[in-house]
Amino acid sequence: MNQEILIALTVGVPPLAGFGCLILNNKIARRVIVGLTSLILIGSSLLLYNSGGLHYEPAPIFEILVLVFDLILLTYFLYTGFKYKNILVIGLSILQLFPVLYFEFILHGAEVTPLIIIDNLSLLMSLIISIIGSLVVIYALSYMDEHEEHLHLHGSRQNRFFFFMLLLLGAMNGLVFSNSLYWLYFFWEITTLCSYELIRHDGTEIAIKNSLTALWMNLVGGVAFVAALFIGQLYFHTIAIDKILKLSPNPIVLMLFASLAFAAFTKSAQFPFNKWLQGAMVAPTPVNASLDSGTMVNAGIYLILKIAPPLSNTALGYSIALIGAFTFLISAFLALNERVSKGILAYSTIGNLGLITMCVGINTPLSYTAALTLLVFHSISKGLLFLCVGVVENRVQSTLIEDWEGLLRRLPATSLIMIVAMMSMFLPPFGMLLGKWVAIDALTSSYYISSMLIILIIVLGSAATSVYYIKWLAYLTVLPMDGEKYGNEKVTWPYSISMLSLFGLIVTLGAGISSILNLIILPTLPEDYYSNISLTLLNVDTGVGSFVTYPIWILTIIIIMSGYFIAKKKGGVIKPPYLSGENVADDPTGFRSTADGIVKIETSAQFFEQEYNNDRLIEIAKIIGSIIMMLLFFAVMF
Amino acid sequence: MAENNILNIVLPVILVLFAPILGGFIMGIDRKLTARMQSRMGPPLIQPFYDVIKLWGKQPFISSSIQPILAFGYFAFSLTSFALLAFGQDLLLIIFTVAIADLCLIVASLNSKSPYSVLGGKRELISMMSYEPILLLMAISIYYVTGSFMVQRILSLNYPLLTYLPLVFLALIPVLIIDLKKSPYDVSASAHAHQELVRGVFTEFSGYTLALVELGHWTKIVLMLSLVTLFWATPIIIGIFLALILFFVVLVIDNVYPRLNWKSMLKTTWSVGVLLIIANIVGLISRVVMRI
Amino acid sequence: MKIMTKARLKSPWVLHYDCGSCNGCDIEILAALTPKFDAERFGIVNIGDPKQADVMLLTGPSNKRNQRVLKNLYDQMPEPKVVIAIGECACSGAIFHNCPNTNGGVDKVIPIDVYVPGCAARPEQIVDGVVLALQKLAEKSEKEVG
Repeated sequence: MNQEILIALTVGVPPLAGFGCLILNNKIARRVIVGLTSLILIGSSLLLYNSGGLHYEPAPIFEILVLVFDLILLTYFLYTGFKYKNILVIGLSILQLFPVLYFEFILHGAEVTPLIIIDNLSLLMSLIISIIGSLVVIYALSYMDEHEEHLHLHGSRQNRFFFFMLLLLGAMNGLVFSNSLYWLYFFWEITTLCSYELIRHDGTEIAIKNSLTALWMNLVGGVAFVAALFIGQLYFHTIAIDKILKLSPNPIVLMLFASLAFAAFTKSAQFPFNKWLQGAMVAPTPVNASLDSGTMVNAGIYLILKIAPPLSNTALGYSIALIGAFTFLISAFLALNERVSKGILAYSTIGNLGLITMCVGINTPLSYTAALTLLVFHSISKGLLFLCVGVVENRVQSTLIEDWEGLLRRLPATSLIMIVAMMSMFLPPFGMLLGKWVAIDALTSSYYISSMLIILIIVLGSAATSVYYIKWLAYLTVLPMDGEKYGNEKVTWPYSISMLSLFGLIVTLGAGISSILNLIILPTLPEDYYSNISLTLLNVDTGVGSFVTYPIWILTIIIIMSGYFIAKKKGGVIKPPYLSGENVADDPTGFRSTADGIVKIETSAQFFEQEYNNDRLIEIAKIIGSIIMMLLFFAVMF
Repeated sequence: MAENNILNIVLPVILVLFAPILGGFIMGIDRKLTARMQSRMGPPLIQPFYDVIKLWGKQPFISSSIQPILAFGYFAFSLTSFALLAFGQDLLLIIFTVAIADLCLIVASLNSKSPYSVLGGKRELISMMSYEPILLLMAISIYYVTGSFMVQRILSLNYPLLTYLPLVFLALIPVLIIDLKKSPYDVSASAHAHQELVRGVFTEFSGYTLALVELGHWTKIVLMLSLVTLFWATPIIIGIFLALILFFVVLVIDNVYPRLNWKSMLKTTWSVGVLLIIANIVGLISRVVMRI
Repeated sequence: MKIMTKARLKSPWVLHYDCGSCNGCDIEILAALTPKFDAERFGIVNIGDPKQADVMLLTGPSNKRNQRVLKNLYDQMPEPKVVIAIGECACSGAIFHNCPNTNGGVDKVIPIDVYVPGCAARPEQIVDGVVLALQKLAEKSEKEVG
């Protein structure tokens, strides 16, 4: 098929379909539209991936459309600022609106040919966005029905929800295809709009408050973007990304990259811009699944990945790595003390994005490989985790992990998938751990003496990461003796399609990690990055270490099977726990206390609330994060 | 050459098969030595094997239906991780695989609704959090000396690692103490804390599940001691001697010191342990710089 | 299976439960575990967890309050197991016999394998009692294995 048509399909169809959903606010129409769009999106992105990179010049009409829509968008942000009397939003919108007008009509910038350059990185990103994004939208079909049922709404507001969800996918695809900084900026602003609208979807007070936080934080990134536009136009007379990347590094070029990196950090919620992603958890879960895994936050990562090659061996690169590492450490500790399920996932997202950022900042071929591996596997695992959490929250009606005790008994299928998804975040032989392993290899082999600090941060952070996942995982497996099932685990088709697909992806991609590295990740490295990873039948060899792949997978399966076999063979009577002999005869969950009164056993997970306070830690982290962010702009001088 | 290849495969396989047995003897030595330090006779050397065989034959009681699978997982993944070591694989991968074994034990203890077991499980979690960074940093500092994470490389060195990494070696002492569950860091399952912990993380295991957990524990100890032997890998006999000395030091510490709480465990490993390793790495780097 | 019986005999892990003793016998039990007598020579470990114990040492006459706990602990011990009543009170209730609040001997609550009389029972007697109990354990083991 013609590649131009494929681009049009991946970028154009989602917004149009979204518009269709907006007009036809009816369940069946929505299902048909979303189903077809997903098929088209996944199909066309796969075909596009297959056909390889290209340069493409869209019709001139699109340039005018982009300009018009951009101005409308900025005016809408300004209006929002006035509507909610939010001085930050007003200021930041004005800071963008007038410079953009100046840029367009006085400087006559934005002359870029070709407007669209698709390289392997764009294709990989588009694949992630289209597949995971579509699966999340399919999932949302069921979720939003249940969600609105719980909220007892009169009249459905799902039309606007699906409009923005689909628009986000189109915008993200547009973002990764653009070669003009201005177009990139335009799509960037659309994703900001979508995140703002989706976070405030429920319209509660807290939702509106958090959506405004998300808006202004992302607008900060927009302002940095505008600054980058101006630097490009005024000093180098170009805003074409391919040309900017070829400029020889000097402080002004680095200033441009620093602005872009800064913008990227606002999107990928690095400290001190972590708050918006945390606040986004008030939104319906599909929004989080989409924002945190496949789409929104990956825009930031994409931008840093894009600008990384010229930054190798610069102080700027090192500062980027430092921000990532710092975010990874702090978010791990924050997650340790977090009780809300989605909160833990949000911190985990922020932390993993930090890890990816760190890898990009180190900027060796090996670390770039690590970044891409982490990106791919993080998107899948985190997407699946959010989907599971959404199902559980709708059933259990609680977001606290302490209320999820014994979920394995109550919702066996969902929690089994969830446990595997959790294990895939931090244990071998899954892809995320391979990414982390390559990252440590890359760090130690990068010959920065200063990378010692980052190594230390990563090592401590990864210990804390294991702890909060194991803690949560253990909670799900508690098998209460009186565990009643939460009704039948009725699974509607949108749920099963989306969750099983992602589950399948985790397992197959994890098992076929060598092929994935070989076919997808290594070709995506920038041109002059020669990664010395060699893949043999049994292991992934980075030159400094080797990761055994298939043997561990096979052993894991054998171990689980033989464990099951032993358990079946030896069997055993399930006995109530040891309670110093004070067990109650017919109630295994209680013990006799004072005056023979029956007390229920309560156990709690490990939190470190006496040792440190999350609010204080965030305050401190904000200050340190801001200092490192400032370092970013000082670093351009070296 | 062919003979050499066969030896390269057969020897690790034999090592893996005998690792749990070796671990049993090490536990026997532990009990015997501890008894001698307390001026007792102590049990026979093969006492741990009697215990495990007896446990295997007891009436099976379990706390939940997935407990046996997890208990087996603890053993099997410890053994997997030792196998990776025996085949000269990546140190980081070995450490990450031990994490699966730990996960199995912790989840098995946390998933019974037993207060003592949960308390032990939580503390085991913190133990894991305490020693994992030290082990990872150990692997990284070994990398700085040898330029590789592979155990194979260490086995082919013609100089001992200990001369380059003396402080890292010291930092392994708390790791060994935590893993052997010895004082002062026997917070998760103390042999001397019946009143508060009962059997800590092992409370809800009984019969064959406890036997499996014991086997896993032995294997893990062999693994940790093997990591110590890497510090003087050529000839390996000195490394083994070194490991035994360290083991003896741990036993002396166990008999001299009372139990500390988990906070001091975490603080010590994360401050003293990490600082020792960093000081060592800084020393390494300055040595290289001085030579230039 | 000879090995299994031997292993059982070589590794009796004991659970010590005081069901209303005056602590005299308890102190003697602890004395038997001290370095002087060194019970660990025979593989005896005071385990404190019924789920892992093979031998139950009971002191005191057992009363109406703690008989429930005694029964629970006994039920949580996996087979094969033996129970030893240590001291006069545990054997028969001794001076508390016929007291309204006591049961007069632990055998009113659970089956006892070995009685070690004495007020208080001496460590040598206790070790002797355990040896006797091990013979019973061997019998049980042989019977179980067939």
